[in-house]
Amino acid sequence: MAGSVLLTACANSGGSSSSSSGASTGVSGDTVTLGAAVSLTGALAREGILTREGYDLCTDVVNAKGLQIGGKKVKLAITYQDDKSAPDTAGQLIDQFNDKGNKLILGPYGSATTEAAAAVVERNGQVMVDSSGADDKIFTKGYKRTFAVLSPASKYLSAIVTAVNDLATPKPKTVAILSADDGFSKTAADGAKTEAGKVGWNVVATNYFPSRATDVSSSLTQIRGLKPDLVLGSVHLEEGIAIIRQSRELGVTPMAFGETVAPPTPDFASTLGPQAEGVLGSSQWTKEGKGKDEWFGTAADYNASFQQKFGREPEYHAAEATAACFAFVEAMTKANSADPNKVLDAVAALDTDSFFGQIKFNQTGLNIYKPMAVIQIQQGQQVAVWPKTDKTSAMRWPVATS
Amino acid sequence: MTPFLQATVYGLLQGGLLALVAVGFSLVWGVMNVVNLAHGALAITGAYFSWQLHESLGLDPVLSLVVVLPVMFMVGYVIQRGLINLVVNAPIWMTLLLTFGLEALIVNGLLLAFTGDFRSTRTGYSTNTLALGGVRIPYARLIAFGLSLLLTVALVLFIRNTKMGLAIRATGMDRTAARLMGMNVRHVYAVTFGTATALAAAAGSMIGLVGTFTPVVAGGYTLQSFVIAVLGGLGNMWGALAGGLVLGLATAWGALYLSGTLVNAIAFGILVLVLIVRPSGLLGKPYYEARAEA
Repeated sequence: MAGSVLLTACANSGGSSSSSSGASTGVSGDTVTLGAAVSLTGALAREGILTREGYDLCTDVVNAKGLQIGGKKVKLAITYQDDKSAPDTAGQLIDQFNDKGNKLILGPYGSATTEAAAAVVERNGQVMVDSSGADDKIFTKGYKRTFAVLSPASKYLSAIVTAVNDLATPKPKTVAILSADDGFSKTAADGAKTEAGKVGWNVVATNYFPSRATDVSSSLTQIRGLKPDLVLGSVHLEEGIAIIRQSRELGVTPMAFGETVAPPTPDFASTLGPQAEGVLGSSQWTKEGKGKDEWFGTAADYNASFQQKFGREPEYHAAEATAACFAFVEAMTKANSADPNKVLDAVAALDTDSFFGQIKFNQTGLNIYKPMAVIQIQQGQQVAVWPKTDKTSAMRWPVATS
Repeated sequence: MTPFLQATVYGLLQGGLLALVAVGFSLVWGVMNVVNLAHGALAITGAYFSWQLHESLGLDPVLSLVVVLPVMFMVGYVIQRGLINLVVNAPIWMTLLLTFGLEALIVNGLLLAFTGDFRSTRTGYSTNTLALGGVRIPYARLIAFGLSLLLTVALVLFIRNTKMGLAIRATGMDRTAARLMGMNVRHVYAVTFGTATALAAAAGSMIGLVGTFTPVVAGGYTLQSFVIAVLGGLGNMWGALAGGLVLGLATAWGALYLSGTLVNAIAFGILVLVLIVRPSGLLGKPYYEARAEA
């Protein structure tokens, strides 16, 4: 899915002129300032704020350990702007960052905002590491300056299909796909449809409702009579909650529900309570994931750092944001510079392990190593159930949904 | 046939709830000629109020209205007397600007106080349903619908049969004449706004009971209120109810047969159609006599 924090990293001297070392490293003064246009208000505010937390943790950890560029210790800072969850605004803010000399950008929360930002980044000669813009379309436009640490949208829901086919006994034979009608969700739904065909399931319905809908009763009414074994939702948080809640009201009782984005968000289980039990969700990251880096350690270490700062466990929105910030930090360290062209080359050449898993970008800017994970809500908590190597619990199946 | 009946029942129940959100908006617009852009934010404030009472004291959202309604009435009264009254004689764009600012203030205040997390007032009967053949009627939505009818009837009786109701209607028709007759117009306006705020808060409590809310959804409810008020007939309480039911039904039926965002177009398509055929709304009357009728 996507996120809309847009982080611009720039060599910002706070008004002072460049030092002689700054001319070669792109760093002026003693601070590398990252500007981030985050969705702090509007429809994406919830996820935007989670993303900002990921960025905040990144600067805290990096500054505590000390970032060295050009032989001197520099401070990593982030300036935030609110893109109001609007793609147009995100694009304008990228331009504003560019006007201020900010050349290094991280993508906004949300595929639509990221897509708008990517076009501006390309035009301005900036560099963007995308933390949450997952729509595959972003990576088919030939952009050379946008890199995504996350899996693309087409993998979000198909991962649940693969996991269920891998783990479930008895296997489902029929599946209904409910999807919001935004680009990201439709791409994820298409991915699941293709994957369901590959594993031999019958897709009995594919139904679209308006993005950010809180009433999906008509879609559920349509699939109720089809009695699908599995209901998959390509959704954001509010639609995901509505599917589970209104299915209960309307008597839609498949073997299980699986959804993108919503189940890994903390509000999902807290809002639905017992109704959330057994719902499967796809996640960009789990704390059981493999991988390690010198800044954040393992996924478990990252989990502990986040808990220490925010008093709760992170979910994947924060982790992917930190990973995007990490990619910049690694690139700047390897380039020994914050000069945008040198950082661009270093990001493109990056091949590193991390708490988020291995990161290496292909020519379209996608992270070639990134797998999706599948979680399940069990006793109010998210547990990793797939891939098998990272799982903490066995998948419960079938789940009583009546 | 069952999917159609199910969608119809759901649409009616949802429409009743939307009508409760909109009735206060319509009242304020009809009486004071103020398009209150903060109306949705006041409804969501009511949702948080009710949710907080449920979380802290375990108070059922319906019972919590005993506290929520009077408190939010006073909040509305004070907002009108202290703030909106300052611009009530000004051109309409001034009131738009002020209520827009008020909306931003309330929404961001709620974000600061409660964060952007999604909330729901979860009760033991939240998702229990009454099954009639193949059609299921959720109890919580039925309660919200019943409350909507009850409060609309109460409002109509209040406007029709009380001295204050008469004063509200008179002030809505001609403020200068009302003042010349010795009415305290500022007080009448404040009571009107307080009543509308209390009704919005009641709707918010029911939104929390049947679904989820977060501060940022406030604007959507204001927009729906606008559509319903115009659809039903400005300032007409029954009109708000009719507008809500029409919108709820049209959206439910539309979602059954159409895909995705096309559903959103239905609400505005119907609005345009009604305005072409019947410019004063479904139950509205020409401007002068329509102001604040019951």
